[in-house]
This record gives sequence, C-alpha cells and structure tokens, in this order.
Amino acid sequence: MKKKVLTVDDSRTIRNMLLVTLNNAGFETIQAEDGVEGLEVLETSNPDVIVTDINMPRLDGFGFIEGVRRNEKFRAIPILVLTTESDAEKKNRARQAGATGWIVKPFDPTKLIDAIERVTA
Amino acid sequence: MASKKAAQKSLSLAPVLDLNEATALHAQLMGLKGGPLVIDASAVERVGALCAQVLMAGAKSWEEDKQPFTFAKVSEPFMKTMQLIGVNIDHLLAQEARQ
Amino acid sequence: MDMNEIKEIFFQECEEQLAELESGLLKLNDGDRDPETVNAVFRAVHSIKGGAGAFGLDDLVSFAHVFETTLDCVRSNKLEPTQDVLKVMLKSADVLADLTNAARDGGSVDEARSRTLIRELEALAHGETHAAEPAAPKPVAAAPKPAEPAPVVAKPEVNDEGFQPIPFSFGDFDEEPAAKYVPTCQIVFRPNRELYAKGNEAVLLLRDLSRLGEMSVYCDMDRLPPLDKMNPEEAYFSWKMSVTTDKGEDGVRSVFEFAEWDCELDVRTIEEEVTGEAADDDEPPMQAVPFDLSLLEDGPAVSGDEEPVVSESDATAAIAAADTASKVAQVASRAAENAKAAAAATAAQASQASAAGQTIRVDLDRVDRLINLVGELVINQAMLSQSVVENDNNGVSSINMGLEELQQLTREIQDSVMAIRAQPVKPVFQRMARTVREIADITGKSVRLITEGENTEVDKTVIDKLAEPLTHMIRNAVDHGLEMPEKREALGKNPEGTVRLTAKHRSGRIVIELADDGAGINREKVRQKAIDNDLIAADANLSDEEIDNLIFHAGFSTADKVSDLSGRGVGMDVVKRSIQALGGRISISSKPGQGSVFTMSLPLTLAVLDGMVVTVAGQTLVVPLTAIVETLQPEASAIHSFGASQRLISIRNSFCPLVDVGRILNFRATQANPIEGVALLVESEGGGQRALMVDAIQGQRQVVIKSLEANYTHVPGIAAATILGDGRVALILDVDAVVAASRGQPLRQDISLAATG
Repeated sequence: MKKKVLTVDDSRTIRNMLLVTLNNAGFETIQAEDGVEGLEVLETSNPDVIVTDINMPRLDGFGFIEGVRRNEKFRAIPILVLTTESDAEKKNRARQAGATGWIVKPFDPTKLIDAIERVTA
Repeated sequence: MASKKAAQKSLSLAPVLDLNEATALHAQLMGLKGGPLVIDASAVERVGALCAQVLMAGAKSWEEDKQPFTFAKVSEPFMKTMQLIGVNIDHLLAQEARQ
Repeated sequence: MDMNEIKEIFFQECEEQLAELESGLLKLNDGDRDPETVNAVFRAVHSIKGGAGAFGLDDLVSFAHVFETTLDCVRSNKLEPTQDVLKVMLKSADVLADLTNAARDGGSVDEARSRTLIRELEALAHGETHAAEPAAPKPVAAAPKPAEPAPVVAKPEVNDEGFQPIPFSFGDFDEEPAAKYVPTCQIVFRPNRELYAKGNEAVLLLRDLSRLGEMSVYCDMDRLPPLDKMNPEEAYFSWKMSVTTDKGEDGVRSVFEFAEWDCELDVRTIEEEVTGEAADDDEPPMQAVPFDLSLLEDGPAVSGDEEPVVSESDATAAIAAADTASKVAQVASRAAENAKAAAAATAAQASQASAAGQTIRVDLDRVDRLINLVGELVINQAMLSQSVVENDNNGVSSINMGLEELQQLTREIQDSVMAIRAQPVKPVFQRMARTVREIADITGKSVRLITEGENTEVDKTVIDKLAEPLTHMIRNAVDHGLEMPEKREALGKNPEGTVRLTAKHRSGRIVIELADDGAGINREKVRQKAIDNDLIAADANLSDEEIDNLIFHAGFSTADKVSDLSGRGVGMDVVKRSIQALGGRISISSKPGQGSVFTMSLPLTLAVLDGMVVTVAGQTLVVPLTAIVETLQPEASAIHSFGASQRLISIRNSFCPLVDVGRILNFRATQANPIEGVALLVESEGGGQRALMVDAIQGQRQVVIKSLEANYTHVPGIAAATILGDGRVALILDVDAVVAASRGQPLRQDISLAATG
C-alpha cells in the first residue's frame, strides 16, 4: 500500500519539487497551496504524513499545524515542517504548535524521504 | 453457559492502534472490566506505544481482579511490535496463539 | 516533469513574487501598515530564496537572505518602514529582479550596486538608519547563522528498579581512532506526553534504533497505573536499550532528532568489556530484538495465525459474531457518513474555489492555435452565409435563420477566445515604477508614480509591446517634463513631482494616459526647433495643439543637451511609430506650467481588425479603420497637380497630398483618375494627413488578421491578409508604409505592421 503524503506549500516551485521527489519515491502525493486549503484537503484525503511550509498566505504553517492537532480525526498524523534554514526559533514555534519533525529547505530528496520514513509506520 | 464465572467477553482490536485509538481502546476496556476477556489482535496492522500502555494497564487490572486476560489471536505486526518495544506478552497468549 | 521544467516554473514564480514584492513595498510606501502586506512582501523574498536554494543559485540566495533578514525586522516591528527604509527596499527589489534575470538568462549584474545594497540592508537590520560607514562590509555568506542548540543531555536517571547507567569515562575513549570493535551505546529514553501528541511514536524510534545494529531492549512499565487510573494519552513507558552500531552515539542521537525535545534521553557509549561486566550488575533483563524488521514497514501483513482458533466457548463465538456484525454495521454507516461528509467537503471546496477565481496556466501556443481555428470558423461561417444568400432567393428560409444564429454564436466564441489572451496591464505598470525610481535617482528629482486601472485587460501582445514606448515616455516625462525640486518649490508646487499612469477601456479600445504635473511643453522652444529643422515654415500659423504634436516628428528633441536618459537615440517619433504599429493612436495635450498628458488608444486585440474593404485596380484591400479620418468623393476642381507626378487635393482650404495606392502597390501602370474613385483621408506617421485614392468602397467589416509572414512572406506595403466571406484573400494595407512610399521612399522590407505578429 502506497503511503499518502499531503504537502502544503504556496510556492509552485517547491510543490513541484516535492511532487517529483515523492512520486519517484513511490508515495501518493496530495498537494495544497496554503494552510486553509491544507485543512480542507485533509478532510477528504486522510494522509499518512503531512509536509508543510511555514510562510504561507491565508493560514501559515503554525496555524495549520495547530488546526490539524485540534482536529479529533486527524490529530495523530505526523507533520514535518519545511524550514528554509535551521532557524532554531521557527523550529521551536513549529514544535510548540505540534510539528513532529522538520526538513531543512532546500531539501535533499534523500533526507526528505528519510524524514518521512522516520515518522511513519 | 451457566457458570459462576461472569460471561467471557471478547474484544477485537482495530487495525491501527494509534494516538486516537488509545482513548477509544481505554474506554472499551473499562467497559469490559470485571470478567474474563479474550482479545483478538489478528487485524492489527500498527500499534503505537500508547495503545500498548493501555493494553498492559488492562492486563495489570485484570490480574488484580484475578480475571483472565488473554490474547486469542495476534497478527504478526502486533507480536513483532510488542517484541520490539520490549513488552513481553507471552504469558498472556492463549495456548492456540503460542507458537 | 524534470528539473529543468521545475526550474522554469521557479522563474515564472519569481516573476510573480517580484511583482508581489514591488506592489507590497509600494503599498508600504503609501503608508499601508497592514501586517498582511508586510507578510506578503516577506513571503515573496522568502519564496524566491527557497527556490533559489534548491537550484543552487547562490548569488540570489545570499542577496535574498540579507533582504529577508531586514524585512523580518520590519515584520517584527523592530524596524519602522520609513520612506528612507523603503527606498532601500525598493532598490533591493530591483536588484533581486536583476539577479533573478541573470540566473535565468545568464549575464551579469551590477555587483557594486548589489554590494552597496547589501550593506545598506544589513545596516537597517542592525538598527542603523544610514549605512554611512561601509568600513567593514560583511560578506553575505559569512552572515552568522544561529547556532544549533546543543542537544540537552539528560541527567542519568536512577529508575525505580535501581537501574543505574554504567559509569564510564569519555576521555580515553574519544581518542581511540577507528576502534576495531563496534561500539555499543546504552540509551535511556523516557518520552513525555508531548512526544505522542506531536505525532512522534516511541515504536518508530525504537524501530529506527534497531536498524542501526543489534539491539536489546528493556521496557520499564513501573510507572504504568492500573487501567482506571490511567490517562490513555499519558506517557508511562520508558525504555532502556543497548545498541551495537558503527554509527555510534551520533547515529543514535540522530534517530531522536525530532523527539529529543519531548523526552528525557541519555546516550552513552560503553566498551564491550564493560557491557559484559555491567550485565552482571543490577541490569534489568533485556529482551533482544533479533527479528526481521521488514515486516513492520510493510504495513498490513497476513496474520501469522492462519489456523482457525478454537473458541473457548460457543457463547463467546456468538458474542463475537454479534459484536462483529454490529461493528460491520457501524463501519458501514460510518462509511456512508464519511462519503457524505466527503461530498459536502468537496462541494464546499468547489464553491470556495470558484469564489476565489481559479486560474490555469496554458501554453500560449495552444491559445493561439485555438484563436486561429476560431478565426477559420468565422471565415467559414461568413462564406457559408454568403453562398446561402446567393443561392436562396426567398431569403426567409429556416437556413437563413439558422445561419444568423450561427453567426452570433461564432462571434461570441470569437470574443471569448480573444478574452483568453487578455491580461491586465499590471505587470507593465509595475515595471514602470522601477523606471520612475531609476530616472528619479539619476536626475535627482523627486517623483511619485500613481497608477490607476492596473487591472484593465488587453491582449498579451499589446502588453508585451507596450513596455518599451511607455518606458521611453516615462523617462521623457520625468527628465523633460518635471522640474527640479527647488524649481518646483519656487513655483509653489509640491517639490515631489507626480506622474500618473492610468488605463481604462473606452469604446472597445484601451486608453492609456500618462500625465505629469511638470512644466508642460515649451511651445516657443518647440516651434523654434521645428523651424530650425525645416519641419515648418518660419511664418507657419500653428495651433497650440499642432505645435505640441510636433514633438512626434522624427529626430525631434527639445532638450538642450542630450542627457543620459533621453539621449539614447529614441525620440517621441519612435514612440508614436510603436503605438501605431499596434494599431494605436497617440496624442498629447499640454498646459504650460501644469504639465502634459499623453493619451494612447490601442485596440484590445491584434487578432481582429475593423477595416474598410475597398477596391483598387480590381483587387480587394482592407484599410484599418483606425487610420481613416474621413472618406470623400473628390471633385475635379479640388485636384491640383504639381511637380512631375504629384497631386494635391484641397480639402476645406488646405492641401493634402494624394496617394495613388494602385500605383504604389504596382497594381497598375498608369495613374488613377481621382474623380472616378474615392479618397480616404488618413492620419499618417508624423501627424500629417494624406488622401489615399481607391477605386471604390465595398463596406466596413471586422476581419480576422492572417499573418502574411507566417503563411507566405512579407510584402512591402501590406501589413497582413485576411479571408473574406466569399473566400477571397484580401490584403490589409500598411498605411504608413504606403504613405512613406508616396514621399519617394521605396517600400522597405522592414516596415511592417506589428499586428501580424
């Protein structure tokens, strides 16, 4: 059974890179462009893991993570955040919001897959 | 079965025993307290530590109540996960489930 | 999709982000303090940086990084976005755009400029208002990154069982280079409730740990309360593990990278011998984890127990069966609910999406192919109509009615398809903001650009070709139109000049106005210059409007000295030609001391054209309606000859040269008799009027432009072709080229109507 990954990122470039990387690694990929859409898509997609950006319009990564963790049905899903640099402060805030782990952008495909494997069964 | 013992109940575990399932499983076990229990873990695909805790707490409580608490059927992922996290359930396995 | 395609997407996205960035900065400049505006600006730079990093575009990354840092100060209210700050940021946005272009197309950027801006940005970020001392410019790459917090090493815990981690010394150990034996790590891991709440899982951590090497595990359940006292989401279990791995302590710690914040963790390396001894100590019994782990990864595995399990009692089985049945029912109803919820969610999503106005990106070629096909359809429909009309005398047949409907439908389809190519002028207007900034900087003038109607839509080709003339006009407006701040102040004007750029739709065309509040046209100077250049007679009696329009003559410049900006060999004549090439018109109106207004009127599309269909020497030609001022029937008394072959026509007391279209296009060898034909008064390049002689007017109609270059080859004097309702090809006249040829300039190959493009 293919693992399903929900990616949330407002950058078309990053979305495409995630898509290519994840599809090549044999994941099923669903994409959303910001936190609001992420929460909507979540309802219908039931992913195994979520990869989200922090800086996004409408609803940023922190808000999105909090939204997922508050959701009775989906709060157990592991969430990886994409941070541009190993910014300790952002990582901290993301963790406080309920992030499971993080991936440093620009991501190395192997590291992305590793991180996903690490938080999923 | 007319017996002095309370009727034996059974519980089938959900395939995914994650964070969300822990509370549900806890509630189910609480509702079954007081009598012998047979657990069917044959459908389990994934077990998290929280559910393992609930199951072990159950085993402990049943033991205190001096009621049998047995795993009748177990899936391989269930067994292997328990083994991985160092939770020995050999003594809780029904004869048939033992290898 | 491969990396190159993604890179292309990245650059497309950069363009959007840069536009976003600029418009956000301009909003801030106008006093907008909405946090979302600041956020959007920050995101734009952040996003460019992120993508650039992925493609290893280091220059772009370094600059974006510094820029982002400064923007972050604004975002966190550490830096007030004053006009001075925004000036630096707007310039930085320009440099970022240059760097992006350089990354895409190769080429270089003004490095000195980038370095200066980096210094200024850093100075702003460090709370200085001015980067006056560029004494020690910090190279960007060296910008210190916040150090990773050192992992907290949990203090060794003494657990209830009295288990103590084996004491040992790191000292001698560290010095051992590449020890022969594989080190064994002893790990104490006590997760917090938070670890599970955040989606981490002790089971997975142990799984990853076991993959490092041979592992033994002991699960400490002592803290586990009885069922009724427990909180199912609290963390009670803790583990003690030993892993023999060549990855060492670091490898072990990396497994806990995501978890170490939410657990107590102690990792130590022990020597094999010590392990042996330690095992005899209070060591709790460890369970070895020798099994094949692949099973855990593969998810649903077939239950290891295939044999039917004999039920302990019939009752149990019955209960179980009932239980299962009820569960099945439950599952089924839940599934139905889910489906309903899903459908609702999808519907909600769809409605929201439509509210937001969804867009798709389509390759321009596809759109153009569609436009072409619709063009064919229009022609085909016209041909069909015509042949039906010709073969049907009673005229009220149902075929005719059907045809009328078809015609309407075709026209609607055509309009809708044309609309696909329509885009807002916003990007061009945004580029003008930069032009204004740059020229204001060079001239030392203070200028404010106000744009209106940025969302007015027009054909993409028009937009693409609009940038150049607009840039030139804006340079002119700032360079020649606006006065220096001191002078403005002396005149009682706001020292900051205003340039207003507006776009609007008016009667099927787009009208773009460029107004400045500068000095206006110096008519005396213009007039004198025109006399000096023999453009007009010294005693010519010209209206103000006529004088103003002289600036559109070739080689006309009123600047006393050729400045850095306007002296690039481009005059207003070139501007006028580019506008005309787009099928547009340009005019100026000026008030001394109050400024000038340039008004351009352009067609909304270059794919269709309103034309007058005329006959010349048996050929059918189409003359763009925009070029025609009026049509008239010449009378013999109005025709005057002069020179060898030149003729003039007198129209309301002024003379206008007659242009014999048939001669110029070589349709006939002899001169046409003007009295037998019709004269089309056209406005030609340079503002002068000419009377084009044609034999007859067939009528006006909208025609679909077909490129001659693409289908045949460029024909001098002909802009493009079209297919008429009767199936004949008609040529569309290039009015300017024909007029120029009438002045004795041979028809040149390079004169062509951009409409064909």
